[in-house]
Amino acid sequence: MSLLQLQNVCKSFGPTQIIRDVSLNIEQGEKHAIIGPNGAGKSTLFHLISGRYKVSSGGILFKGAPIHNLEPFEITRRGLARSFQVTNIFPLLSVFENIRCALLWSMGYKYSFWHLLSRQTALNERAEALLEEIGLFERRNIPAGELAYAEQRALELGIAIASGAEMILLDEPVAGMSRSEAKNAVALIRKVTEGRTLVMVEHDMNIVFDVADRITVLVYGEVIASDVPEKIRGNPRVQEAYLGETSHA
Amino acid sequence: MGKLTIWIVFAAVLLVLPQIFDSVLSLSIFTQMTIAIIFALSYNMLLGQGGMLSFGHAVYFGLGGFLAVHAMMMIEFETLSFSITLIPLVGGVFGLLAALFIGSFSTHKAGTVFAMISLGIGELVAASSLILVSFFGGEAGVSGDRTFGPPFFGIDFAQDDHVYYLAAAWMFFAVLCMYLFTQTPAGRMANAVRDNPERAEFIGYSARRVRFISFAMAGFFAGIAGGIFAVNYEILTEENLNAATSGRVLLMAYIGGLGFFIGPVVGAVVLTLINSLLSNYTDLWMLYLGILFLLTVMFLPRGLTGLLMMHRVAWQLGRMRLLLLPYTLTAIPGAVFILGMIAMIEMSHAEDAEFVYLGLALAPAGYGSWALLLSVTAVAFFILRRTLPRLHEAWAEANTLPRLQGHKDGRP
Repeated sequence: MSLLQLQNVCKSFGPTQIIRDVSLNIEQGEKHAIIGPNGAGKSTLFHLISGRYKVSSGGILFKGAPIHNLEPFEITRRGLARSFQVTNIFPLLSVFENIRCALLWSMGYKYSFWHLLSRQTALNERAEALLEEIGLFERRNIPAGELAYAEQRALELGIAIASGAEMILLDEPVAGMSRSEAKNAVALIRKVTEGRTLVMVEHDMNIVFDVADRITVLVYGEVIASDVPEKIRGNPRVQEAYLGETSHA
Repeated sequence: MGKLTIWIVFAAVLLVLPQIFDSVLSLSIFTQMTIAIIFALSYNMLLGQGGMLSFGHAVYFGLGGFLAVHAMMMIEFETLSFSITLIPLVGGVFGLLAALFIGSFSTHKAGTVFAMISLGIGELVAASSLILVSFFGGEAGVSGDRTFGPPFFGIDFAQDDHVYYLAAAWMFFAVLCMYLFTQTPAGRMANAVRDNPERAEFIGYSARRVRFISFAMAGFFAGIAGGIFAVNYEILTEENLNAATSGRVLLMAYIGGLGFFIGPVVGAVVLTLINSLLSNYTDLWMLYLGILFLLTVMFLPRGLTGLLMMHRVAWQLGRMRLLLLPYTLTAIPGAVFILGMIAMIEMSHAEDAEFVYLGLALAPAGYGSWALLLSVTAVAFFILRRTLPRLHEAWAEANTLPRLQGHKDGRP
């Protein structure tokens, strides 16, 4: 059984159909990229999977159970975490607090007001280890809003992976980064998503073909191809609809 | 200084204060302060910690207080029998119950929706308190007597200093609990939801539930404050749960500084002093309070505590002395300017032919006094402006980190 199943998912805003009958299976452990021209509905698809938007029709199953009627926090608790295209952190909290907050639910603290955070050794050690991993340990005490852009992107990723989710959705994780920053970010993504299922939306084709072992091409809300990278490269419809465009650019 | 030391010093100050300032007035002011501190801190659980702007926090203070008075009456008429020391807890429990009910629908959203609901509920409760006479006592309010019930180690709370110590003990307990709450998962997530409710949902937390918990806690502690108020004044009226009281607690938290745990404490102390001391000197004290609030909003978004905390870097670098002279130079014309402004405000309000201000006999009707005040104030303002560049310079120097300075400019 696939880890994530999209079954005939449709999404309309008023009369406008953004996602048209998308069916897609994502297997455990896969590194899956979703590509497509601007306005193809990639981010909308992420919002549907993660519960930010509700589907107009169709179903989404995670580990075999429907999640398309759940709230975002319920989906997160089931082990499906995500990052955002526009950095979406807790700007006034310190970098450390950002990561610690992201760890709380998965470590079973729920809404506790009877645990003192400073005494939770396992929690604090894990937060520090994670900060080391994403390269922000030195910056842990400054407010997250004061980090540089690339650092905020790293924190964004850190918050997404902190919960230990089995499946992680990354929405354009390297957008707006320089070449070298992007290279570091990709190395980081590889490292922290090891052994987990990854779905990413990305524009940079080098990164997509480098990271993904399967690629889905979305055009005007429809899946026109979903296959291994070599076959996507050779697919005439994809070349026409998407890759052809970018090679001119 | 460790955190434990701070709490011990805090407790010691509470114990010693009424020994140093032992007049009836100061004792009454201290008791008012304890009430205000709990109330303002509970308000900041909403606004500063949780990002919920409430215009109706007096509801929980007042409802807790009213129930506390009723509990006192039950003790008096021997329907119930427990020590008067537990009355604040009665207030707290009913504040909590009210907050659980109202919070169940008001915390769906923060922002404008929450603010408007809080305003509506505040008006609703204040209006019904005048209508439901049997419970709220109409305009006269309800009153009780705190001297009944089993004595607490021989103390019957007939004296004001007994009430102060009871209030101080509850205040210490409440402040400690509210501080500890900020250090728990629920307290920290309240900050996270304040910063970014959407992302909080994507790390597994329902923003609504997080707000609800803070809201309930805030209601509980506001109710405790109301309960202490009931023990202290033995009367509650509509005034204690109306919009004016809700507004005052907002001012306390804001003027003190929302971003710091200690901020509302500072605000509560300052406003209690203004309220009880300044009102002895002038009828216009509300005007000055309003001006203070405006100036805080405009120039000190982090409140009075923020103003103090601004000096942390200079303090750590050991450069406070660089600021001493520029501060003095600015403070002198600044003080003259403020006193001049106050003189003119007070004189325009004076009814007698002669108006004595700081030992100076002024004539509100004559042009001479006005011209004098205007010119003094204007000159002070002019000099004040002239001193500011020097202050700015000193400030910059005092706050420059050592490794960054003195490379290029070749300072003299």
